[in-house]
Amino acid sequence: MPLPLLPPMPRRHLLLLLGLLTVLPAGGCGVRSGRFDKPSGRPLRVGMELSYPPFEMTDARGEPTGVSPDLARALGEFLRRDVVIENIAFDGLIPALKTGRIDLVISSMTATPERAGSIAFSEPYLRTGLAILAAADSNIESAGDLDRPGRTVAVKKGTTGHLFAREALHEARLLVLDRETAAVMEVAQAKADAFLYDPFSVYRSHRRHPDTTRALLTPFRGESWAVGIRLGDDELRREVNRFLKSFRESGGFERLGDRYLPEEKAFFAAEGIPFVF
Amino acid sequence: MAAHLAVIAVAAGLIALAFWRIDYDWKWDEVWAYRRRFVTGWLATVAISLAALVISGLVGLVTAICLGSKSLVLEAVARVYVELIRGTPLLVQLLIGFYVVASAVGLENRFVVGILILSLFSGAYMAEIFRGGLKAIPQPQRDAARAIGLTRWQAFRLVILPQAARIVLPPVAGQLASLIKDSSLLSVIAISEFTLAAQEVNAFTYSALESYLPLAAGYLLLTLPLSWAARGLERRLRHEG
Repeated sequence: MPLPLLPPMPRRHLLLLLGLLTVLPAGGCGVRSGRFDKPSGRPLRVGMELSYPPFEMTDARGEPTGVSPDLARALGEFLRRDVVIENIAFDGLIPALKTGRIDLVISSMTATPERAGSIAFSEPYLRTGLAILAAADSNIESAGDLDRPGRTVAVKKGTTGHLFAREALHEARLLVLDRETAAVMEVAQAKADAFLYDPFSVYRSHRRHPDTTRALLTPFRGESWAVGIRLGDDELRREVNRFLKSFRESGGFERLGDRYLPEEKAFFAAEGIPFVF
Repeated sequence: MAAHLAVIAVAAGLIALAFWRIDYDWKWDEVWAYRRRFVTGWLATVAISLAALVISGLVGLVTAICLGSKSLVLEAVARVYVELIRGTPLLVQLLIGFYVVASAVGLENRFVVGILILSLFSGAYMAEIFRGGLKAIPQPQRDAARAIGLTRWQAFRLVILPQAARIVLPPVAGQLASLIKDSSLLSVIAISEFTLAAQEVNAFTYSALESYLPLAAGYLLLTLPLSWAARGLERRLRHEG
């Protein structure tokens, strides 16, 4: 006697089950082909993590503000498209771009060869690097000092600091945190010897915790920030590069620096630390 | 049983359909290369869950007894504890508990602090579950136990507790499953457990989603046996009633 594939059930249940199975593939078709249409007049969705002052942050009313939102809006004006800014956690930006939830990543993201395997990058728009926020009592003077047993290094998940620590610091203990503020806290409370991040944030964090931290601002590793674009979206990449060139030539980056980073600009210039938009 | 398998097959089919439709190129081999990281993270979650399970059970039981106590002080302490812990998010408790309270008392080991905070969190919910169970035993049971000459402690251990245990078993099993999943939040204080492992692997391989499937499977591997054991225990206790 053949075994029944399904248990005996009322006919209406069986019909419902079969109905579900047939309807769903059909329902998906329209959405799938829609993605490959040429977007004309469709809003440009830009992803960034709004917790990185002064590059990505929110104002008192909760609206995105900072270097990246301004850059995104200027890009929108240049391309004559509406811009929608999506607030997404940093380590979720590349996935969001890859799955089509956003069209661009403008979130102070460093262009690395590894990331370039997953997404495309525009020309770089800012040259910076990795700096160190050290605990006040630790005697760290360079990144090399970190690679010793007994050292604890805090990093933010998914950032170049995290990737560097994983590749280069084998002796140290790694604390992976999802918030910059938590990582700074770890250093300020001497739970970690150092936090690896960009010089601007290190500078500001040190100003916030002057007695419990030290700032080693000269980047030990050079990096450039660029706009992230989906692999294969060459048209958009060309447009973004054209925009960046035009924006720079019209002094747009100078204005951004003066508006959001006047203190850092002056301080870094005095210290001889590169601050190049 | 066959009906369950049919539903699982349909659910798996729907999920597979969603995954196929999103036009994402899967890199399973890269994630497979990090399997050791997954395993160590999973073992950490098992250790954390077991420890928190035991401690929160004890905390819950003691608190439940305090809640029903005639002592004003005991009842007040227990009630404030329960309301405070149940009324605030675990995330907030973790951040304040670790960066403020633990630092103030000098507790440095984040693993221990994480387990304690998780246990206190779950303990408050357990306390309310146990309190409900104890309250459900009618007073005549207690009177009868005393009447046949049992001491207060014997009455509690031999008459009240077995009956209450049967009542609280389903909600306790649910709370324990929640505890296992809530342990994923310990990643915010950089405890190297299962969820953080999956997120790290995602970060290193630039894959968005591959890690989340093993992650879900890993948690199911913990919660399903718990659920089955609870149901088995329920059946056994019912026969004794």
